[in-house]
Amino acid sequence: MSAIVIENLGRNFVTTTGTIRRTQKTVTALDNVSLTVEPGELFGLLGPNGAGKTTLTRILSTVLLPTSGRAEVLGLDVVRDTKQLRPRIGMVYGGERGLYWRLSGRDNIQYFADLYLVPPEVSRKRIPELLELVGLTDRAEERVEGYSRGMKQRLHIARGLINDPDVLFLDEPTIGLDPIAARELRTVIADLHKAGKTIFLTSHYMYEVDALCQRVAVVNKGQIVMMDTPAALKQLVANLEVVEVECLSVSPEAMSRLRAHPRVEAVHVDNRDQIQVLQIQAPGGVGYVPEFLQLLDGASIQKVVTRQPTLEDAYVKLLGKDAISV
Amino acid sequence: MISHLLGLLRVVAASFKMQAKERATNQFFIGTLLITPIIFTLLSVGSYIYAGKTNFGLYAVIGAGMIGIWNANLWTSGRIIEGERRGGTLSMLIAAPTPFPVVLVGKSLSNAAASLISMAMTFATGLIVFRLPVDIANPFAFIVSLLLTLAAMTSFGLVLGSFFVLTRNAGAFIEVTNYPIFILSGLMFPLTILPLWLRPLSATLAPMWGNLALGTAAGLVAGNPWLIDLYLIGLSLVYLMIARPLFAKIEHRVRQDGSLEVF
Ligand SMILES: Nc1ncnc2c1ncn2[C@@H]1O[C@H](COP(=O)(O)OP(=O)(O)O)[C@@H](O)[C@H]1O
Ligand SMILES: [Mg+2]
Repeated sequence: MSAIVIENLGRNFVTTTGTIRRTQKTVTALDNVSLTVEPGELFGLLGPNGAGKTTLTRILSTVLLPTSGRAEVLGLDVVRDTKQLRPRIGMVYGGERGLYWRLSGRDNIQYFADLYLVPPEVSRKRIPELLELVGLTDRAEERVEGYSRGMKQRLHIARGLINDPDVLFLDEPTIGLDPIAARELRTVIADLHKAGKTIFLTSHYMYEVDALCQRVAVVNKGQIVMMDTPAALKQLVANLEVVEVECLSVSPEAMSRLRAHPRVEAVHVDNRDQIQVLQIQAPGGVGYVPEFLQLLDGASIQKVVTRQPTLEDAYVKLLGKDAISV
Repeated sequence: MISHLLGLLRVVAASFKMQAKERATNQFFIGTLLITPIIFTLLSVGSYIYAGKTNFGLYAVIGAGMIGIWNANLWTSGRIIEGERRGGTLSMLIAAPTPFPVVLVGKSLSNAAASLISMAMTFATGLIVFRLPVDIANPFAFIVSLLLTLAAMTSFGLVLGSFFVLTRNAGAFIEVTNYPIFILSGLMFPLTILPLWLRPLSATLAPMWGNLALGTAAGLVAGNPWLIDLYLIGLSLVYLMIARPLFAKIEHRVRQDGSLEVF
């Protein structure tokens, strides 16, 4: 039996704006999503902001109802079988919210142990273990409001594990963390996977998914664009070369000239402080660098490099201009 | 079955305890619990004494204590759900295997218990500042009435808290309803001063019956405190019955509409 089965899942949100003349707007957050995750798998859901990752995680963790389609976790329906399902799953949302800031880290975990009806004799043993796992043993008695972002995030994970769940949902767990804190957290996630947990991870960091996940689904605007292994995803761009051009100001005309070049498959623009970095994807791109630079006449070019494609380039190729800079 | 029930009781106890811990770190609630009752006692007892009605002293102390209890419950229990929503913990509570109302009952009870401090403060103020003797005719009935008053206030708080989060206007509602409820419950001056047509409205309010129960038990008002206590029990049950569909509505809002999230 698969750990997670999702069939034709859809979710709309109706929002109203305006106080006097109220207008309703329907947003499609998920559109006909289907996928399965096997027991023990670490599955990644990759997509830009607003793609529908949180919506899907919330539905799977029984906090939100789907508008159409169905989803099962551990063979239990996420809409009807909440009573049996809730004790067996854990969920962790990224960000600093969702903790009781005035309480200590230990109090937070203890409270959720009670909420999840974990017998006291079990939680007495498990809480110190979880604190150790996420490296918070020494700071457990301090109030959460004094914690760094990374500590809060690790506390979230310990909290999400308090019922020893079979399936763990992690929604952008490393968002807003500095690189070191993010790496530490990824180590924790990898360890949990080794310990046999089924993990459903969402992220908009390519590198993270590549490093952790066995399979990945790329989602955009509520739809799955591709689903495969990270390696297969990279295969998408295997024949490409990427020319990176740093410049100060590229005009829209120059951009369309560049995109029209027969060799160019995609151009992605990263805005970094004062400079723009164009990522030009083209098969055999190295040979065409002079032509590209000519097309970019007047863009105050600072630096040009060519490199091998990465998973990020596959993502850019899949999403086109919806891909955001990471 | 029994172990499940024990588990739920543990949730009530844990919620009670964690609410107490949270409250202990919040200066606003400390002000509400300790300072406001003293001020109300000074105002209320002071004006009676100035009017030459010294025999109203105990009445005023009880009224001020009820105001303290009411205030504390309104500001704390009335805002529990709203607070969870803002803190991002509401969906965590919904996702937990424990029914969400069980958590709320534990937290509200905790606030109700803490609001007893307000009553203690008003009695202390009466005793120290005005040298009012604490002369309670039926102490046993007084204590039972006090506990039942807290139960009714808790249930009322559950209704209000649900209502506030559903209408998204807790702050404004509290400001607008606070004083009328003091007055309609006879906490500032005896109800007999108010026009008769307001009585049915008063009869729906927990503070008014609590005040009456305490008044009769203290021997200030003619009547049988035990009968009023029965009424308080009935009223609590009615409040709980009203709260139930409101809780269901909140869960519906979270899961169906997805509209109780703060981004
Ligand atoms: N509670 C909500 N009410 C209205 N719109 C929502 C709500 N939650 C999400 N959305 C919308 O649904 C889309 C998907 O959002 P989300 O699932 O949060 O994306 P992601 O987590 O991938 O960034 C977005 O357009 C978002 O604005
Ligand atoms: Mg999200």
